[in-house]
Amino acid sequence: MVDEVFVYALSTCPWCRKTKQWFDDSRIAYDFVDVDKLPDDEQDAAADKAYELSGGRRFPVVVINGEVIVGYSPDKFLEHLKGWGGGS
Amino acid sequence: MSTDARKESLRYLFERVVTPLGYKFSPDEQLVDDLLEAEVQLEQDHGAPFCPCQGRTGVREEDMKIVCPCIPFHRAHFDAMRRCWCGLYVHLDVTDPDSLPQFPPDEV
Repeated sequence: MVDEVFVYALSTCPWCRKTKQWFDDSRIAYDFVDVDKLPDDEQDAAADKAYELSGGRRFPVVVINGEVIVGYSPDKFLEHLKGWGGGS
Repeated sequence: MSTDARKESLRYLFERVVTPLGYKFSPDEQLVDDLLEAEVQLEQDHGAPFCPCQGRTGVREEDMKIVCPCIPFHRAHFDAMRRCWCGLYVHLDVTDPDSLPQFPPDEV
């Protein structure tokens, strides 16, 4: 089972960097977007998507197998990762 | 004003705002330095020291709620975490900031 992981991040946010680092250190593949580094016409769409998913404007927003986690929270990441023996 | 000078002036100003609220700068000095640096950059780019870990909407009234220190606008949430969202500030009695969880307000 390959986990689908996507991180909405801000390049200015240390917790977003820690989140990416956690997945790197755990050797878990993920995609990400630094919303604030996108061109203006793409930035609003990506930001709105993150806000819609998270119900707020806080970053990081992490989507693991369709589940949304807001904030740097390795325990919750593990809960939703299936390939890692997390979840059922 | 240089970035370092502005970081020091923000540190001086913010300390006087957050202490009466029961908060202090995080003991994690590297994190504090990184966050203040990001805020000086955000201030230069967007006109105010916005929280480096929250997104702006372009609606001034909304965006003012994430200008640092934004504690008063998120008091219950931050008190529950004993830190602000980006971790720049923690409760006065916190000595181990890494142990403080980060969770959204709907999980308070």
